[in-house]
Amino acid sequence: MRNWLKRYLGKRVELNDQQALSLAAWHKLSAVATSQSCKASRYVVVDVETSGLNLWEDRLLSIGAIAVVNGKISLGESFYVELQQPVVSNKENILLHGISGGAQTSGVPAADALLAFLDFLQKAPLIAFHVTFDQTMIQRAISQALGTSFKHVWLDLAYLMPALNPELASKYRSLDDWVTHFKIRNDARHNALADAMVTAQLFQVGCAQAGKKNIKNFAGLLDLEKAQRWVNSVS
Amino acid sequence: MSNVHSSQLVFFAAHAPFDRMEPAHLLWMIERMQLGYYAKGEVVVSPEQGVAQRFLVIKQGMVQGEQNVADASDADTWLELSVGECFPLGALLAHRPVASVYRSVVDTFCYELPLTAFHELLGLSAPFRDFCTRRIANLLEHSKQVIQAQYTQSSSEQQSLTSPLSTLIRRAPVTCSPQTSVREVLERMHELRVGSMVAVDEDGRPLGILTLPDVLERIALPQIDLDQPVISIMTAQPTSLPPQAMAYEAALSMAKQGFRHVLVVENEKLVGLVTEKDLFALQRVGLRQIGQAIRHAADISALQHSAADIRRMAHNMMAQGVSTEQLTQFISTFNDLLCARVVELEYSASQLGQLTPHLCWMALGSEGRFEQTLSTDQDNALIFTLPEGMTAAGMREILLPVARRINEKLALCGFPLCKGNVMASNPQWCLSLDEWKRTFSNWISNGTPEALLHSSIFFDFRAVYGTEALADELRLWLARVASENTRFLHQMAENAMAMRPPLGMMRDFVVGKENTLDLKLNGITPFVDAARIFSLAAGVTHTSTIERLRGSAAKLKIHASEVDAWIDALLFIQVLRMRHHDEGKAKGLSDEDLDNKIDPEQLHELDRRILKEAFRQARKLQARLAQEYHL
Repeated sequence: MRNWLKRYLGKRVELNDQQALSLAAWHKLSAVATSQSCKASRYVVVDVETSGLNLWEDRLLSIGAIAVVNGKISLGESFYVELQQPVVSNKENILLHGISGGAQTSGVPAADALLAFLDFLQKAPLIAFHVTFDQTMIQRAISQALGTSFKHVWLDLAYLMPALNPELASKYRSLDDWVTHFKIRNDARHNALADAMVTAQLFQVGCAQAGKKNIKNFAGLLDLEKAQRWVNSVS
Repeated sequence: MSNVHSSQLVFFAAHAPFDRMEPAHLLWMIERMQLGYYAKGEVVVSPEQGVAQRFLVIKQGMVQGEQNVADASDADTWLELSVGECFPLGALLAHRPVASVYRSVVDTFCYELPLTAFHELLGLSAPFRDFCTRRIANLLEHSKQVIQAQYTQSSSEQQSLTSPLSTLIRRAPVTCSPQTSVREVLERMHELRVGSMVAVDEDGRPLGILTLPDVLERIALPQIDLDQPVISIMTAQPTSLPPQAMAYEAALSMAKQGFRHVLVVENEKLVGLVTEKDLFALQRVGLRQIGQAIRHAADISALQHSAADIRRMAHNMMAQGVSTEQLTQFISTFNDLLCARVVELEYSASQLGQLTPHLCWMALGSEGRFEQTLSTDQDNALIFTLPEGMTAAGMREILLPVARRINEKLALCGFPLCKGNVMASNPQWCLSLDEWKRTFSNWISNGTPEALLHSSIFFDFRAVYGTEALADELRLWLARVASENTRFLHQMAENAMAMRPPLGMMRDFVVGKENTLDLKLNGITPFVDAARIFSLAAGVTHTSTIERLRGSAAKLKIHASEVDAWIDALLFIQVLRMRHHDEGKAKGLSDEDLDNKIDPEQLHELDRRILKEAFRQARKLQARLAQEYHL
């Protein structure tokens, strides 16, 4: 813990000119209106790989992201980056993610990696399964490496899907459960990009289901998510 | 960021034609693709959307094209597409709207490539272009390679019988002028240690051949004058083939004609000589030996031996990727030889003597159509004419016991007795020419279900042994009578429509209780039936289904490309059936236990797709039949 506090508080972030310009440009972009129709918007589905499941101790290893544009996943518009690591994560973790020690130390420097992610993201709303984890990991990394807070609109499929399929809500918890239910194939689990891909497909299913209930924009989806959070908290 | 697509690549690598595309082109394509989701029942593409804008590949789920009856000839009608399949190729290539509504049958994800990128990719990637423009032909080619790969284990020691003759020629041919003396030719053959000499004219055109075995027969024994010109004792006009001809063609022609040499001739000029020995290196059992053995077989055990050789050879040819059309031709050729020899031996053993010219032994059903596989029930019949002072009943009294023995001997050679008793030993099917005409007339005018069933077997007759003129006369008579009787043809067509190719609504195939499809009944029969009706209507006298389709096409104004697609489809089902039999044999099943039932789930993914496509072609053929006869 002390170690982390020292890392977090002890060092001021210094960006070079180009990095600073790039960050400023991203800040200037205008946010996307959540009232826009799902069929005419760009969303980014994200998944991260980390050195472990501890939100405060573990580090971000890679980010995979896929753009869903006007309801369709653009295969050409996908993003994947491995972040350079100061310490090689333990062996067990390497086996799980397949990111070798070599790749961990050789990856892209954190600031550049995260700026590239922001450049890909623009101000598109973010979608993930169990948002808290991805959100915290990305926020922490951005704050450490870029010295800025990352406040963004997120939609959590872990709440949206139960809201749309109440009869399945009690049975299904994990991304795997939902993906299996809709028979979505994943050829490479535990790769951030492949996981983002199946999450994006799950999002497409969710959008279509919401469309049938006449919910056709992002604000509507956020309302559903909120309602489900409430259901979960009282039940 | 090529890293991005690794999981997508896994998908594409498993499906044709993507598995054959260059990685760079594949990446180029994937980068331009989108993934769309279609909930169950949602429209994916429809005619109302105008000119087709997206090339779609099903990643997951199933899409169905709803039939548009008004336009039954359209290539896109009646479709059920599953994972890995591409659509709507016809519409994209022709820049037109699709002909039917494509709807997702279950929740479906499709990869989608925009129209402009699709056309650009056609230019970039040859395998992709080939696939889109010659869908069936291409899948078949692909499948052939897979089959070959599967068989390499059992035949790795064998070179290919499909190699061109040009690769087998070992040296320039030894030639002489036709006027060279016999003595000089023999001296040169001895000196050069060659087994044959070809006489050529000044332009290198072959005129005749002399081989070592001829020396004994034509020179030594008759003790001829060695100073006469060699051409007088040579075999004139020896068999020749072009250098591009396949080794198996040479083997087949040696087998048919009993020669040991085939001349290789290009632009009329002799370029080489292929001997049986050259081919022998390619096969364990020589085709010519099988032919010779059959022709000279003295008893049933020798013929049984030959029957086993035929099967072994067929297996090898299948392994070497010889096409089905050629393979069935091979099997028919040898089975005919075998059958003819069985009949010949039995006739002479029964001392039929002067009755023989009055007889014609006929093959019926699949044998009559040259569609025999390794295991086909025998279907046969006899036609006879009456010698002076004999009655038909009297003839039958003599012939039926002989026919019975022939049927039993054929069964010993691996042609099981016909369960429906369609055999020459059945008094109903041992008839005089006039009786046959009366029988056929009755069937044509009655049109009862039984008559229709009989027509489907008997109208495919052809001569195998004896006086072929009898069969020819019956054939010409039938072609005339049947083509004039439209009511009968209409009934046959109606009957043919009853056997629908088993394409499913929810799954790829409709299967029976045992999860199997009957390749013969569901797959081959629709083609065979339709071809028979077309040929009868068009007065085509062929009995082979393929020849019937080709022969009728022009008269019925059916486009050649359409006919080719039907033929490809039929041949593919035929090859699956043969492989199924071959595998059954390998498992030690007896002839009687071989069946035509396959479990589509057990097929190679590619084969399953082609089989579906083949069944689609069968449906199109039936649609054509329905159109022709207003059904």
